[in-house]
Amino acid sequence: MGLARRAPEWVCLISNCRLELYPGGGMGSSEKIKGSKETPDEDQPSRSGVRLVSLVGFGAVLALMGIIGAESVRVLHSIESENVEVTRDYLSRHHALDRVRSSLYLSGTLVRDYLLDPDQGRARSRLAELQEVRAQTNAALDEYRGDGLSEDVPQLATLRAELAEYWKTISPSFDWDAGQRRSLSYRFLEQLVLPRRDAMLRLADRVDGMNEAVLKAGGLRSAEIYRSFRSRIVAILTITLGLGIGVAGLSIMQILRLERDARLRYQETVRARSELENLSAKLVDAQEEERRTISRELHDEVGQSLSALLVDLGNVVATVPEENVPARRLLDTVKKLAEQSLQSVRNRALLLRPSMLDDFGLVPALRWQTREASRRTGTIIELAAEETADELPDDYKTCVYRVVQEALNNVSKHSNAQSVQIVVRQEKNRLLLSIQDDGKGFDALHTRGLGLVGMEERVRHLGGVFVIQSKPGQGTHLRVDLPLRGESSGLYG
Amino acid sequence: MGDGMASIRILLADDHTVMRAGLRLLLERQPDFEVVAEAEDGRRGVELADVHAPDVVVMDIAMPRLNGIEATRQIAIRHPQTAVVILSMHVDESYVMRALKAGARAYLLKDSAEVDLIGAVRAVALGKSFFSPAVSKLLAEDYVRQLERKGEVDSYELLTAREREILQLLAEGQSNKDVANLLNLSLYTVETHRSHILQKLGLHTIPDLILYAVRKRIIR
Repeated sequence: MGLARRAPEWVCLISNCRLELYPGGGMGSSEKIKGSKETPDEDQPSRSGVRLVSLVGFGAVLALMGIIGAESVRVLHSIESENVEVTRDYLSRHHALDRVRSSLYLSGTLVRDYLLDPDQGRARSRLAELQEVRAQTNAALDEYRGDGLSEDVPQLATLRAELAEYWKTISPSFDWDAGQRRSLSYRFLEQLVLPRRDAMLRLADRVDGMNEAVLKAGGLRSAEIYRSFRSRIVAILTITLGLGIGVAGLSIMQILRLERDARLRYQETVRARSELENLSAKLVDAQEEERRTISRELHDEVGQSLSALLVDLGNVVATVPEENVPARRLLDTVKKLAEQSLQSVRNRALLLRPSMLDDFGLVPALRWQTREASRRTGTIIELAAEETADELPDDYKTCVYRVVQEALNNVSKHSNAQSVQIVVRQEKNRLLLSIQDDGKGFDALHTRGLGLVGMEERVRHLGGVFVIQSKPGQGTHLRVDLPLRGESSGLYG
Repeated sequence: MGDGMASIRILLADDHTVMRAGLRLLLERQPDFEVVAEAEDGRRGVELADVHAPDVVVMDIAMPRLNGIEATRQIAIRHPQTAVVILSMHVDESYVMRALKAGARAYLLKDSAEVDLIGAVRAVALGKSFFSPAVSKLLAEDYVRQLERKGEVDSYELLTAREREILQLLAEGQSNKDVANLLNLSLYTVETHRSHILQKLGLHTIPDLILYAVRKRIIR
């Protein structure tokens, strides 16, 4: 009645629990998050926001580090090439000036040789050399000019003008004859040529000094580039560090939240599991109650009616004369049918739940069960249950009875056992059951049929321990240790 | 038929009205049977047994208020001369044993009541026991199977011829005194034999002994 109506609700509750137990699966997980108060609805979008922010943050940190690297390479390269260029410029200008200077010395010497040489022919050749030196000097100056540095242009122009003046001063002497050279040359050299030449050499030195200044300036420029690079790097590093700290903080927060979520989910799973166990225990109880009711009704109602029917049939037969063969035959058929029905009702009722369990208790029911199994299968089944009270709490009786029933079922179905030993012993505060067979056994570590799971569940629900030991070829030993409620609370309470 | 033959006075106890009517009809077809009262539960059965002191009570097991086995126990104590025939739906020996311990003399399955009830009532009225053939067959088969499986020696072999004789008489429901008279022995000798029998067979009470006799097919 009420039981039958409640059962479908339990089934659907259990299926809900299963959904909660496996949050990986589709709708179940989203329902579960909505249902739980610690993980509110708006959590989902904010979590994806956090994910986006931390992704962007990590990306930015990596990008900044890349920028720092690239910038360093670029700046170091530009400093290096700047240095090389400045040095090369300096050296080329320095060389040009050197050549100018040496030409000037040479020109002084040549002028002197020319003036002092009495031989007209040799003087001519000196003059030709002098002209050549002049061209070289101009070329060197031009070369220097080619680098085009504005800073030393005034000095350079002065040098150039002085040089022109120098040549202009010297050139009248080129037309001199030997007599003129002899009489004029000393004064000419002393008063005009050498002072001018020395002045020009000093000028060239000044230009060289300028050159060095330019070199120094080049060094300073490199230092400037480096300084600006350094401050840029410091700025970028500061940003990177800040961003890194931010991203790390965010990640830690995220991890902590995930940990908390995982803990909540675990607790939820544990709770769901215990609910599931309770529900399945209730289901088992309900099933047992229904079996009891149906068994009793079959036995007491249907069975009694069939018995009455049989008696009355006998009475009817007595009133039918023996000569009425067809009627007698018909009545005989009906009687056989009623007998068969009664037999089948009785067997059905016993299979559902043997009446001895409720009428006399556990041990008579177990005796019946072992006799039946022995009769059915031909296995020798010994039951030792001398020290067990018949009056045990109903759930204990039922639990032990059903475990034995299932075990004997397994023995007859799978084990090929020759004999089975069943021992039930009641101690001060516990009830022990042991079922041992000499059958072919099985791999108890890896095989768990539904029957075993059901037995274990019944035992666990009463706070008991269920142990099954079996190996292929070595039989099976099943042990149950049930704490007894009344006594244990008396002992410890 | 009142031709001097004492009729057997019967009390019917069954909660099922149709069943009671059927049983009454069945029993009363015997000219020497008389159904003196009907009870619809165990308690009423005990009361009516007090009122009528019947020779035989035909008792259902499953009854409201007081079940048949308890009612049997009370009637057996109050009226040792009244024999109880148990009518039961159960074949199992736990029911047979309890019925015998409560003091019943016969154990009938309802399936075969129509066939066996008359014989059972006559048997218990004579002080004998009676079991439905289906029940005694089952008990005997279980016993034999158990002996075969265990490979034990049947303790019946340990009994002397005289002891076997006495065992059968006791199992059939005779008292020590009846046996002494029947075999021309002293009551003391019969009692000594009886305790030897129980000891050799590992039994404790007369119901144990009756059940043993049924299993051994000494009585049927």
